[in-house]
Amino acid sequence: MTDPTCKVNALGIWLKKEMAEGTFESPRTRQQASEISGFLAEISQGLAEEDHITAMMKRADFLASSGETPEVRAAGKKIIADIEENLEVFLGHIQTHTCPSGACPMLTPAPCQMACPAGIDIPSYLTLVGQGRYEEAIDVIRKDNPFPWVCGLVCTHPCEFMCVRARMDAPVAIMDMKGIAAEKAMSARQYNNPEPKPDNGHKVCIIGAGPGGMTAAYYLALRGYRVTVIEALPVSGGMMMVGIPRYRLPREVIDREVAMIQDLGVEFRFNTRVGKDVSLADLEKEGFEAYLLAIGAHGSYKLMIPGEDDFPEVVPAVGFLLRVALGDHRTPGRRVAVIGGGNVAIDAARTSLRLGSEEVTILYRRTHDQMPAHHEEVVEAEEEGIQFSFLTIPKKIHGEDGRVTSIECVRAELSEPDASGRRRPVPVEGSNYELPVDTVIPAIGQEVNGTGLERFEEMRWTRRNTIQANTISMETHQPRVFAVGDAVTGPATVVEAIAGGKKAARAIHRYFEGFPQPKIPYAPTRRRRMDFFQVPAALKADLKRVQMPLLGNERRRITFQQVRLGLDATQANNESRRCLRCDVCIRCGRCVEICRDKMGINALQLGYMNFDHPGPTDLKITAERCIACGACATNCPTGAMQIMDKDGIRILSLCGTELNRLKLEYCQSCGAVVGPARYHDYIMRRIKEISPKLAGKRVCLDCARKETGRRHVEMAPPENRS
Amino acid sequence: MSKYYLFHDQKKCIGCQACVAACKSRQNLPRGPFPSLLVTIGPQWVGPRAQMAFAFMPCFQCENPWCVAACPTGAMQRRPEDGVVIVDANVCVGCKTCMSACPWGSPQWNPETGKVVKCDSCYDRVKRGLQPACVTVCPTKCLYFGKPDEIPEVRRERYAKAMLHDGDHQN
Repeated sequence: MTDPTCKVNALGIWLKKEMAEGTFESPRTRQQASEISGFLAEISQGLAEEDHITAMMKRADFLASSGETPEVRAAGKKIIADIEENLEVFLGHIQTHTCPSGACPMLTPAPCQMACPAGIDIPSYLTLVGQGRYEEAIDVIRKDNPFPWVCGLVCTHPCEFMCVRARMDAPVAIMDMKGIAAEKAMSARQYNNPEPKPDNGHKVCIIGAGPGGMTAAYYLALRGYRVTVIEALPVSGGMMMVGIPRYRLPREVIDREVAMIQDLGVEFRFNTRVGKDVSLADLEKEGFEAYLLAIGAHGSYKLMIPGEDDFPEVVPAVGFLLRVALGDHRTPGRRVAVIGGGNVAIDAARTSLRLGSEEVTILYRRTHDQMPAHHEEVVEAEEEGIQFSFLTIPKKIHGEDGRVTSIECVRAELSEPDASGRRRPVPVEGSNYELPVDTVIPAIGQEVNGTGLERFEEMRWTRRNTIQANTISMETHQPRVFAVGDAVTGPATVVEAIAGGKKAARAIHRYFEGFPQPKIPYAPTRRRRMDFFQVPAALKADLKRVQMPLLGNERRRITFQQVRLGLDATQANNESRRCLRCDVCIRCGRCVEICRDKMGINALQLGYMNFDHPGPTDLKITAERCIACGACATNCPTGAMQIMDKDGIRILSLCGTELNRLKLEYCQSCGAVVGPARYHDYIMRRIKEISPKLAGKRVCLDCARKETGRRHVEMAPPENRS
Repeated sequence: MSKYYLFHDQKKCIGCQACVAACKSRQNLPRGPFPSLLVTIGPQWVGPRAQMAFAFMPCFQCENPWCVAACPTGAMQRRPEDGVVIVDANVCVGCKTCMSACPWGSPQWNPETGKVVKCDSCYDRVKRGLQPACVTVCPTKCLYFGKPDEIPEVRRERYAKAMLHDGDHQN
């Protein structure tokens, strides 16, 4: 996306200009040029097939070889060169129905889809879920993410940060909608795998059964590869299983979705650590042709303070969550201090509480607002009684007889914003104090533990001790070896690992097919273009974001039962009606501009459309002012704004939101529709000056003309005059 | 009115629609819009005979056009130099108010562009010394275009001849 212009669009504009300037003189070349222009228009509207490229090339070849003037021949050559040079962009438009530059209005993806690392077609599945078509919703999601249920419960949902509805009130609950889709589909046995391609005989070895590795396994298996996943732990799921506690993500959810991947014939080998239980040489002997390293980041950063290594009660969060996930449910201690402000810290604290710890305190060196942990998680932790101590820096862990007794901390203040605008915590001299605790759980970050990968000799590591991989093709420096997930990005999110897994599967497939790896990032794919929900403006505006029902707080504190209880069908239906359908409405604001600046009516108050300076939005005000002239709909480049006549009413709707309804009037001669009264009032007001008397009769255009024509006809021939 | 006058000699008109076709083709219009229209009246009984008549309906280029007053964007404008009413497609937003305002139904809707089209008396052709498209193609030469004083006195001449003929017959 380094180049903001769209090559398809640019070529189309250039060709139209050449045609208008009369470059193509002979009818033959003019015809060829206009056909190319038509094909380009179809590509930029998402109506094209791959043979459009061949067809364009054929015509461009003709222009280049048989053009009547040097200009025509040069134009033909330019078209050929443009297409060849930007073949990825042209094919991208055709295959994904997406134009990431936003130059092709019909192909501009919604901000939520652009924000999703996996590129899920969110507006389409939201609509499907709202319609109760859970099976299809799951199909749409699994085109880009084989873990809709997991992601429906624990995704960091960057999509919701970009949700345009947030500029009106609150974002659509995109994540929860995925959760209900998966739950309903799984429960009704409608959660199905697509038909995989026939076995192609190639063997791929994936190291690590986390979200990245298993996503790659899923898409490779669908493409007909024989996939084996090697996992050091006795369970699948990686950090999803051993990092995320059960009360957020029940292990059954992971098991069911992994089972779907197993169903495709993917082989799992547990308790097998590469470099220890099996060597690269063994794997080579088995005939694996490509490797994907998805080992995650299971090591922990150290606090680097005295006492850290002296006591068994200092347990890094990752290790603590791992042992709990594997079934060790002993209480870590009565008074627990968790150090860090991220999601892992919150997870460790809430897990300790559920295991019976009486007092759990999170020590964080910055402030509440600066915590990287998810806001909802923080709120839920506070509700459960987790204590927070902000602006607190641990200095030393004290103990007696080999047991932790307290942690010594120093208070901090925020500095003035530095050059990067960030306010750093600065220790306050002499403010040391001791917090009595018996367990310390550091959760200040994870790192990749590369032990066992020594035989991947050509692979390179970054300074942050992650695997160096191409961000588009996921290739490492060693041929046939690819890498994804936390091992590449450092500790990140489930959905980012899934995105990596999908990219790796494509790259591995391209490697086997002998295709060159792509140079530009993959654009997300538009999977559907769903019809709109017809919703009255008042309802659209008033529907509030669904509140996820939560487990009672008492039970939350003592059990590992799932905290977020999930939506029901009615809630999901309402929530999907809140979606503004940004996959269709690209918020160009032309409708608002025309209504306000050209028509002078200013009936559309759609402040949310302005990304940089969102203004107030009032969907209900349109009905007060709109005359239903339809200029907004006529000028809408994507068909989001529509005007239609139904049952004697003219309805103006934006992505199905009915902004205005006006009763229609009819031609007094022929009964044809002549538009609503308010529209005629507007016109009469404008022509009042020059036409003080109104015609009185309301007739349609055709009748007006015929009437006039009749008056102009001389019927009586001379010989009939008396 | 514009400084031009378009005269349709209905006696010579055979209703072939060549004028209408030429008009549409000059503006490269799709199905739907007819900037000029040949309205067919009849057949109806005129004395002992059934007769058809045709009225050519381009834009009358009103002196004080309602379409121009109705247009909120300024796309519809009357050319000061010759009084021809034209629509600037770059400014038109397709609100159709001109269409509803015109009592004669002259502004027409182009569904392909989402804008209004209308008869502009082919002012660009006229500027180059040509006749409007409709006039050029008329096979019976029943359309005349020019300044009012250039239009032949067809109707008067015909009337005079008829009178003369009537007189001969009576004598």
